[in-house]
Amino acid sequence: MSSAFELNGVTCRFGDLVAIDEFSLSIAEGEQVAFIGPSGSGKTTLIRLLNTTAVPSDGSLSVLGDIIADQSVESLRVLRSRVGTMPQHLGLVENLTAIQNVILGRGGQRTTLRSIRDLIIPSRSDTEKIHQLLRRVGIEEKLFTMVSKLSGGQKQRVAIARALFQEPEILLADEPVSAVDPARARDSVRLLTELSGELGFTLCVSLHHLELAKEFFPRLIGLRQGRVVFDGAPDSLKDRELESLYELTADEMMADA
Amino acid sequence: MNSTIGKWGRRRWIVLGIVILFLLCAKSLGLTPAGLVPPDETRWERAGAFFKAALSPAMDYQDENVPEDAPPIWLKGLYGLLLTLKFAFGGMSLAVPLALIMGFFGSSSWWPEPRGWFLDLFLRGIYFAFRFLMSLLRSIHELIWALLILSAFGLSPLAGMIALALPFSGTLGKVFSELIDEESRDAAAALKAIGHRPLQTFFVGTLPAALPNLITYSLYRFECALRSSAVLGFVGIETIGLYIELSHEEFYYNEVWTYFYLLLALIVLVDFWGAGVRARLNSHKGACEA
Repeated sequence: MSSAFELNGVTCRFGDLVAIDEFSLSIAEGEQVAFIGPSGSGKTTLIRLLNTTAVPSDGSLSVLGDIIADQSVESLRVLRSRVGTMPQHLGLVENLTAIQNVILGRGGQRTTLRSIRDLIIPSRSDTEKIHQLLRRVGIEEKLFTMVSKLSGGQKQRVAIARALFQEPEILLADEPVSAVDPARARDSVRLLTELSGELGFTLCVSLHHLELAKEFFPRLIGLRQGRVVFDGAPDSLKDRELESLYELTADEMMADA
Repeated sequence: MNSTIGKWGRRRWIVLGIVILFLLCAKSLGLTPAGLVPPDETRWERAGAFFKAALSPAMDYQDENVPEDAPPIWLKGLYGLLLTLKFAFGGMSLAVPLALIMGFFGSSSWWPEPRGWFLDLFLRGIYFAFRFLMSLLRSIHELIWALLILSAFGLSPLAGMIALALPFSGTLGKVFSELIDEESRDAAAALKAIGHRPLQTFFVGTLPAALPNLITYSLYRFECALRSSAVLGFVGIETIGLYIELSHEEFYYNEVWTYFYLLLALIVLVDFWGAGVRARLNSHKGACEA
């Protein structure tokens, strides 16, 4: 089974802050993994490392078999177009319509001029494909609605559709359900895992809903202060390990407050 | 306690300083309160007549030499308004594309990251060059531009439009570049993460996000362009300002007020229309927000 991500002794530093500390991790293609841990444990930095928007200060990282340190700016960009990312804030363009936002999913694989044209006159085949995608995520009637007029849950679906339109080999999602009510959160996470199963892409989602993670993901990776403290199936996550994962030190409690 | 008193004292000194500065300027300019009062009887009469005429704007030409078949004054006034609009619209139509180009080069949000030292130097050079150009354009008032262009090209409608377009493109361009740079980079960052190039994220992410603000500001500038266009009449370009100036020269104050009121009506109308468009552009922000 080929590799999606290989991290070997990766450290990621921002000034004095060590966000990721000597991380070694291996994720195979097609896997579904949840990153769990308290705020500040390094989940977002890990996602940024995996989509190459953050660079390791030490250690080696390879994505889809390509070693990051060996890549040129252009080949990194091409690599990124094969990896979909849903950032925490969604990163949608509020005063474009749903279809316009979704069509930008393929921007990394198209020229700048084509992207501009896509916004003004999308091709018929793109429009149909996007319509189907929006139907799959349950908001097909919002095709031409401006994103600013959508609810939080609907915006999230647009973000998912944009990621799907990209046809990525890997999908990363950073806290996709932190601002959503519990029922909607379950639906969204279930949707992501179903799509990953159907379409075969590797799925890595960072969550702080432990229950959701245990319910939908066959592999959990627990982070704490930038280190891996747990890597395995949900059943084998013992109570003691759970405690150590979520037990806040005095510093962390101050940071959270 | 001492520091609070000290602070109040400092503010008081600054205000005092400003008042003294004002008095010094006034003295050196030869201003006296007596200067507000017209020196002789005729000037009093004229001032009085001017303001009295506000109450009775002319319905007919005051000049007896105007031929019988000439259009009625209100029609001429409307024609003047039309010309004013045309110059304003024409000037803005030239200014906006210029401003978009200059604003783009005067903003830094589309610069690729990372970039080598050469590219960095080059981009910074262009950035400062365009910001300087925009400052230059807008520091020269449209009336001065008009005089410059008229002396070079003579009295022509194109000259009038360019005289408006140049300073307005400078102001618009500067504000455009600031609006673009202040726009949230969330969308651009998200697009970069999925493989968009820097220029691409600018055109499909940052620019669409900034567009409502750009449009709103352009509409506001259009209202300013109307006023400036009217004022261009005072250097001979045919807008309603010219009619005002000609009537004023001949002391036909009632005519002056007729034209004033028409101009006022136009500006108020455009103001309302602009507010309506702006409300619709911003309506996406949600009904519960102020």
